[in-house]
Amino acid sequence: MRKFLLFAVPMVWLFAAFAAQAAEPGLTKNSIKIGIFGPLSGPASSFGEAELGIAAVYKDLNAHGGIYGRKIDIVMEDTACNPAKGIAAVKKLLSLDKVFMLHGGSCSDVVMALKPGIAKSGVPYMVATAASTSISKPLAANIFQNVPTTEAMARTEVDFAASKPGPKRVALVSQSDEWGKSGHDPAVDELKSKYHVTPVADVTFERGSIDATPQVLQLKAAKPSFIVTVLYPAPFAIFLRDAAKYGLTTPVIGSQAISIEDTAHQLRNPAEMNRVYVFYPMAAPIESKRMAKWRGIFEKYNPGVRLETSSLLGMGGAEALIAALRKAGPEPTRAKVIAALNGLHRFNTGVMANPVGFSPTDHAGAHGGAMIAYVGKKLVVIRHYAEAPK
Amino acid sequence: MAAQLVLSGIGQGSIYALVALGMTILFRVTTIVNFAHGELFMAGAFVIYALLRWGVPYPLAMLGAIVFLFALGNAVERGLMRPLAGAPHISLAMMTVALSYLLRGAVRFVWGGNVRSLPPLFSFAPVEVSGVIIDAEDLVIILSAAALLAVFFVLMRYSQLGKYAQAVTDSARGAALVGINVPAFHCLMWGVAAVVAAVASILVAPETMLYPDMGARVLLRAFAAMTLGGFGSLAGAVVGGLLMGVIEQLAGGYVSTAMIDIASYIVIIAVLLLRPAGLFGRPEVVRV
Repeated sequence: MRKFLLFAVPMVWLFAAFAAQAAEPGLTKNSIKIGIFGPLSGPASSFGEAELGIAAVYKDLNAHGGIYGRKIDIVMEDTACNPAKGIAAVKKLLSLDKVFMLHGGSCSDVVMALKPGIAKSGVPYMVATAASTSISKPLAANIFQNVPTTEAMARTEVDFAASKPGPKRVALVSQSDEWGKSGHDPAVDELKSKYHVTPVADVTFERGSIDATPQVLQLKAAKPSFIVTVLYPAPFAIFLRDAAKYGLTTPVIGSQAISIEDTAHQLRNPAEMNRVYVFYPMAAPIESKRMAKWRGIFEKYNPGVRLETSSLLGMGGAEALIAALRKAGPEPTRAKVIAALNGLHRFNTGVMANPVGFSPTDHAGAHGGAMIAYVGKKLVVIRHYAEAPK
Repeated sequence: MAAQLVLSGIGQGSIYALVALGMTILFRVTTIVNFAHGELFMAGAFVIYALLRWGVPYPLAMLGAIVFLFALGNAVERGLMRPLAGAPHISLAMMTVALSYLLRGAVRFVWGGNVRSLPPLFSFAPVEVSGVIIDAEDLVIILSAAALLAVFFVLMRYSQLGKYAQAVTDSARGAALVGINVPAFHCLMWGVAAVVAAVASILVAPETMLYPDMGARVLLRAFAAMTLGGFGSLAGAVVGGLLMGVIEQLAGGYVSTAMIDIASYIVIIAVLLLRPAGLFGRPEVVRV
């Protein structure tokens, strides 16, 4: 009996240890392995700054002792904003690196391609900055989105435009890709369902275009009182330049993909920025005193990388994930982390405009946002939205 | 609106024409379709950007871009294309595809993927004439395309260089037999084509934004322009480019803005079906 016990007890302990390890890959006594992926190269690599910001938050956490004695072990993969490369990157993170959880994705089409596989894997996944509404709707039990969805963004943009006195003559300019469409359609719906009007003009302006003359002339003929755009930074800047060239002085609203500071640098006449508003999901302009902590973290771990809006945009998700890991306790499991995220209510990340929160039926965690604009040379929050229009 | 769209289309078309012109010059002499020409155009813009950041005055920065691109064109021919001399056309084309990715990657590595801008070449405000807005930079692009076409037309038709080009195009071996240094001539023409790309970027980059992928779309339009005008025809490249620009603008203004991107593909399909040699191209005739 004693011999049996001498053999059996270590075997049971070993088996339990292996079983625990098998159940929770990526978790050791000293580390939690997190797979970060995003567009670090390719045409959308500027959006990859979000992933650099996320990694900086985890590195900063490590520098402050980690969580319950565990350090975050970061494995970084590039998707190049390409769905096929994104699938390969995440397969590697799950199969080879055996990460405990995932954080990343700044291109909606990549995240949409990954959604079925990640949902099936059950691995907790915090989306970085990809904003398509379809990511969190329909809901996947383990996928959490921490930036305002394109639907929330578009509805807020339309409400802001329609809140101005005078007739509701709103025009739309959007890209025709997945991201553009996911902002365009709710904007049209918001105008129809809430204000009972249709856009006075509805034009497309594609990524890579170098001229917006037909779009601007059509808009000029339609005489809008506000122009709502769902455009990436380059088309947005080109559109504004051509609008100025052809004397289209209507106020314009940009999406959360736009860095208003960068746009100001790209325009020839800074005065043109006084009619530009941008939907802004974060607590304050990145150069403001309020964002100094986050700016400092990003710059400390990414020396020489130019700071822009997307650099800090993913940090709110990292803070939410850290809060969930703390809540999951000293022996976290993937199920515990998912449960902890589902129980995160009105959590102030310090980065985002509003507290974030998830529930078992709602994984679109960021609500509302703000409209920012230049008043003179100063960037200010014009209006704060605690919730996006429903 | 029509007049404005046509004028804007001529401006846009001139950009396509400038890019197509560079590709045509190289194609005439080497029969290589340079898929990296859009990236040479992009590289020129980034050279100007870098020189301006280092405090170099604008005119010198432009000159620097021309010199750099000439050297780059020469280096590409010497280092990448010459070792493949005699290889199948597909290998040569694939080398230019690889070069395009290499240049894009290199620029992205140094400057990242962010969108940047150049200061305007001129600070004249656009003027309005009978309701049509005329922009000084558009006019300069249009006039430059015309001037470059005239220069290359004269060079190709009346100069010794043109005769060499004709000889090398007709038979590289024959040209070599009569004493033309064919590899050196190819090297020179790679440099010249790259300089045309630099000129295009000098004129166009201040009008638009700088980012590593800025050449891809222009390259596609230049292909469409060459197809429309006739591959290998200098006049065809320019007329094709201008027509492409005008077609795009009119389609975008009067049909749908979604048509702007489709227009060039429709043109390529229609021309290949109806007139495969293009407007100015001659069908290939082989003596049997």
